Amino acid sequence: MMADRGISLVRDLLDAQLLDGDERRLGRVDDVLLEIRDGRPPRVAAMEVGAATLARRINPTLGRWVRRAAIRWLPVSLRPVRLPLTTLRAVGVDLEIDVDEATKRRLLRVEAWLRRRVVRPLPGGKENEA
Amino acid sequence: MKSLTKIGLGILTSVGGYLEVGSIGTAIQAGAAFRFSLLWTIALGTICIAFLTEMTGRLAAVSHEPVVAAVRKRFGIRVHLWPLTTQVVIDLLVLASEIGGASLALELATGITIRVWVIPVALLVWALLWFATFGSIEHSVAVLGLVTLSFTVAAWWLRPNLAELARGLVPHRPAQDAARYGYLAVGILGATVSPYLFSFYSSGAVEEKWRVKELMPNRIVAAAGMMFGGLVAMSVIVVAAMVLAPRGINGDFYQQAATMLSLPFGRWGFRVFCASLFIGCVGAALELALDVSYIVGQSFGWAWSEDQPPAEEARFALGYSIAVALGTIPSLLGIDPLAFTMFSMAMTVVALPILIAPLLVVMNDEHHLRAYTNGWITNAAVIAIVALAFALAVVAIPLQILGG
Repeated sequence: MMADRGISLVRDLLDAQLLDGDERRLGRVDDVLLEIRDGRPPRVAAMEVGAATLARRINPTLGRWVRRAAIRWLPVSLRPVRLPLTTLRAVGVDLEIDVDEATKRRLLRVEAWLRRRVVRPLPGGKENEA
Repeated sequence: MKSLTKIGLGILTSVGGYLEVGSIGTAIQAGAAFRFSLLWTIALGTICIAFLTEMTGRLAAVSHEPVVAAVRKRFGIRVHLWPLTTQVVIDLLVLASEIGGASLALELATGITIRVWVIPVALLVWALLWFATFGSIEHSVAVLGLVTLSFTVAAWWLRPNLAELARGLVPHRPAQDAARYGYLAVGILGATVSPYLFSFYSSGAVEEKWRVKELMPNRIVAAAGMMFGGLVAMSVIVVAAMVLAPRGINGDFYQQAATMLSLPFGRWGFRVFCASLFIGCVGAALELALDVSYIVGQSFGWAWSEDQPPAEEARFALGYSIAVALGTIPSLLGIDPLAFTMFSMAMTVVALPILIAPLLVVMNDEHHLRAYTNGWITNAAVIAIVALAFALAVVAIPLQILGG
């Protein structure tokens, strides 16, 4: 599926929606990283996902602020998650990736924290109630 | 039968476009001040919004992604940030207007001051979003929204002069007070061609899992839904023209305007007016609060669906919760809901070009739409709408000062 016409980094990967095998939305590709190697051609290292990465792309200063603010004030880590291209399963309008549970948990850290601390204590905030 | 229920999305969307406080308010003022001569603005707005909703519905059916998601992917975050921020601000302004409008409807009905109603209205909107599913919200608002057809019944009952009605569908220079005429024309177009309508509609189409086979229903739903709203909005103008204009009531105050259905419906007229206003505003508030969560969630790739319980999608659920909370502020501060609404409409018009222009690129992208990209008619329509939006954006602020 992805081999026949090649994958365009900007066109197909950057800003694309990430889905797991069950079509759960896991974020968007906020940046694509190349690895520069001595004496060999550069290689795509990873897709990066995270608020600080996104902020840095908008403006480097904003990126630094977000990172510092997150470290100082936020109870959840905003450290960007790197996904090697080997996780890619299907490339279409959205990207299907195959990642282990630990990576999935890291991608959904903020979501999980908000669920535990804010939504669950509210009426109707339990998973099985609705 | 199944495609009949799809019309619910069209009607829900059009309730937010035509039957909310800004649309009803501007339509009443237009009818009271200029009789039928501003009917063309509704017709024009309806054509524009029907094209835009059809397009974004088509995008959703073909690529299974809503329009905001496509804009982020196609343009990247640095460009997308602008339409996103603009639309969140506009959505919040209009949401605040709707919470004010629903509270105003309750004040009219009970005589108890508007400020008392703001928190209960906001809690009602929040609770519906928090506990209900997309389908149940869609169908209940669509069914209750039919109450507003009472304006159409009233317009029919008043037997307007058909030749004059037809003349109103063609733009004319007004005999007097051109500034106010222009101000109301821009206000009506701003209240009708609202960008949240098509971002909401395409999100709804994804929620309902539309596929390519839904392309034909999509056309019908977009056209019929918007025509329903356009019909009711035109009826409001007609009733205002025939009931308020001869009595010299200018429609600047809902308190006077609320009596406009009393002539055809007697004692029930006032209650029907309040109920219509309340349902329209609550429907629009639901739509706007959801739209904030939709566009933010879609932009950042979070899980977003009104059909999931809040615990499954904490960021989505907290998004609309924060939006509703922020939406109570202007009314609680005692800002006049009508003045605030007119301000929101003007801001919508100014923002319109930024929000519609990206469609021209996205809707011609084969990566997203495969064989279903825009044809020359739909492209001509988007270009015309963007041009119209630019023209409106330029005149909106001067007219707001001169005519309002």
